[in-house]
Amino acid sequence: MSKVYILGGAQTDFERNWTKEGKGMIALLKEALADGLEGAGLSFSDVKALNKENRVACFVGNFIAEKYVDQGHLGAFLTEVDESFYGVPSARYEAACASSSVAIDAAATKIRADEYDVCIVVGWELMKTVESRVGGDYLGRAAYYEKEGKGIDLPFPKLFGKLADETLKKYSELDEKRYMDALARISVINYSNAKRNPLAQTRKWFMSYEQASTRDTETNPLVGGKLGVSDCSQVTDGAAVVILASERFIKERNYVNKPIIKGYGHRTAPMSFDKKMADNAESEYTLPWTRQTCLDAYRRSGLTVDDIDVFETHDCFTSSEYAAISAFGITDPGKEYEAIENGRIAFDGDKPINPSGGLIGCGHPVGASGARMLLDLYKQVTGTAGGYQVKDVKNGLMLNIGGSATTNYVFILGSEA
Amino acid sequence: MEIKNITVIGVTGTMGANIAGIFASFGNAKVYCVGRDIEKVRRTIPRIVKSVKADAIAKNLIAADYSSLEECVKNSDLVFESSKEDMSVKLEIATRVGAALQPHAISGTGSSGLSITKIAECYPEKLRSRFFGIHLFNPPYTLPLCELTPTKYSDELVKKELYGYLSNQLHRTVVEVKDSPAFLGNRIGFQFINEALQYAEIYKDNGGIDYIDALLGTFTGRAMAPLITSDFVGLDVHKAIVDNIYENTYDYAHDTFVLPEFATKLIAEGKLGRKTGAGLYQTVKYENGFKRQTVYDINSGFYRDVIPYAFPFADKMKRYIADGDYLKAFERLVNNHSQEAEICLSFLLKYIIYSLYATEEVGDSIEAADDVMATGFNWCPPLAMCLALSTVTDLKQLIHSRLPDICKKIDVDHYLADIKPSKYDYRIYFKSGRKIR
Repeated sequence: MSKVYILGGAQTDFERNWTKEGKGMIALLKEALADGLEGAGLSFSDVKALNKENRVACFVGNFIAEKYVDQGHLGAFLTEVDESFYGVPSARYEAACASSSVAIDAAATKIRADEYDVCIVVGWELMKTVESRVGGDYLGRAAYYEKEGKGIDLPFPKLFGKLADETLKKYSELDEKRYMDALARISVINYSNAKRNPLAQTRKWFMSYEQASTRDTETNPLVGGKLGVSDCSQVTDGAAVVILASERFIKERNYVNKPIIKGYGHRTAPMSFDKKMADNAESEYTLPWTRQTCLDAYRRSGLTVDDIDVFETHDCFTSSEYAAISAFGITDPGKEYEAIENGRIAFDGDKPINPSGGLIGCGHPVGASGARMLLDLYKQVTGTAGGYQVKDVKNGLMLNIGGSATTNYVFILGSEA
Repeated sequence: MEIKNITVIGVTGTMGANIAGIFASFGNAKVYCVGRDIEKVRRTIPRIVKSVKADAIAKNLIAADYSSLEECVKNSDLVFESSKEDMSVKLEIATRVGAALQPHAISGTGSSGLSITKIAECYPEKLRSRFFGIHLFNPPYTLPLCELTPTKYSDELVKKELYGYLSNQLHRTVVEVKDSPAFLGNRIGFQFINEALQYAEIYKDNGGIDYIDALLGTFTGRAMAPLITSDFVGLDVHKAIVDNIYENTYDYAHDTFVLPEFATKLIAEGKLGRKTGAGLYQTVKYENGFKRQTVYDINSGFYRDVIPYAFPFADKMKRYIADGDYLKAFERLVNNHSQEAEICLSFLLKYIIYSLYATEEVGDSIEAADDVMATGFNWCPPLAMCLALSTVTDLKQLIHSRLPDICKKIDVDHYLADIKPSKYDYRIYFKSGRKIR
């Protein structure tokens, strides 16, 4: 079995509105792939040459381009981007907001099995082609649409608002104000981290604790249950490319200091939210399958939470980041607020979460988020994160979820030495 | 430097209100909002809150009028004047502020081009070192540019502290510029825009205003066509900027700052642009919600429908840009010799040259021109434009062949010799203008 190396990649500027620029998916993919290959020290002609020997493949992560841009068959679509993709094995992977994590998983499997030497993962979503309520309805298909999405205004904010309610119900000693203030702090940390990230969607936006903790106002209206707009990730256009490679390729090209995927976890929780909550009744965790996914990744990597220097998590809503804190093992379940209040998850804390700004600060082009997280871990582990570099990172962990924490994916990336 | 309390003078104006929002949000400062009419100030406060989308800042905003100006100033660590762009008004305010300013405080003006040195001289001698031009662009929430202008009186250490505050606390892209008419961004931007207006007059038989805008639209690396920008800014403001540059500078592009006669006529008729309902363009709204875009026809003196021009080179460029084939788009521009393509390319080349020229005179580095145009205008900045065109052609040769007159007037090679890679990505600025879905 080969080790799985990450050569690098690129993300597009998540501030961009491609519809306003009058550009579609071809332009998006052309830019992302050209930059991604360059970021990995490769070129289109490398792809062509590798493909002659059937050593390269493409893995496309995308949730629902059929709705947003009226296009399916997205693996094959890369042939429209560049001729060097003619003949390259390529397919699209889908698991809602965890789409590009499935793509990464498939790519890593092919490398591990010694079948390909270079696997190009591209995650993307163009979401600004429609107004936000229409987009919100599309996203409802990541839940059980017939029962949880159809005809419901903004279904996902409501589901994650319910997660907040369930969290308060489960931990009866948890004071509601303390919890809601902790969620506000999560929002503020993500916004302020995004200020250091030159590709973050919200890098120019203003957010403060006062603004985030005062909900139900004109500028911070409630979007689902107790959650306000400030608790919610963005509607984003963007793509992220990460390129995986085999040990053979690393040696062949003399790459040095490239990190490896040390472990992964992949678990699927019950699809519908109510069943998910009924399923957790016996658990100390609100999202036991998310916790199990982390445990699987720790077990496979032989690491524990103590070994992880930085986290990128799926803060589609502040309530999901809150639950992730104990799933990672940073605190006991029910005590997540401690890591928020005492600054442990802040940029300069000992367990920083989302130095990139996360989904709330950096943006959330749903099909791209998993690949974007892995790219950010790559940057952190290789010391190339620039303004948002966390000090002395050896290992990083990412959690990417699809639906209402239904598909759960964790990858641990770290330096080999 | 700790800035807790700020006075903003002239807060009911667009810029005053928006800047008060920046101070109250990112600066987390208590802001005394001073205007002539306190009721109008009170009505402005919700607008300020909206400008940064944060109700939380409302508690930081305190309405005041000129009767309590001195009291506000006495309590302030920073005083920012954003009054009417009229020297006599600014001098009067500066004198009042100077008499009440605390010794530790900093004061600044948002003037877009008047003499900062002259305003500084209204301050008592020991406070002049703490006075600066602090010029922001509209709307500052999305355009982070801040031109910082010290004077010969300015204290170097205070300047550094202020620079740090503006960039780190307020998240501005700060560019230090000399106290020169219109500073750097507007000097470069309005050279382009005013020459476009002159070309509208020259080519009035081809359509004039909308003809030129169709040649220099968003597909040429900008958020808005140049004459639409002028209409948005207002012809009165446009005139004030170019008149100031024309009267107080003298460079090789001097003649391009003369306002064309038809624009003077429109101003006299009160047709200033979007803010007065009509200017270079006019949007006619019907009761059923239908909107008609009309444009001022220079020949007839009437508004007529905007013409949907179809120039082969532009259509092809837009098609390429929509698919992300930027190099093919630039190739098309460089190799097409229609009158329209040649006008378009000459404007882009003149923009590069004038930017490099102006930044040597007004800015502190070649990168300053890039920062001002990218973050103040949302235009593809000159160094990024150089890179874009250099990918398909020998830029130096192209400039010599397309702009022989300018090459006779100035040593173009000298300016081109210093070209550096841009930190801005040119791809972002070239829009196709096409519907995607």
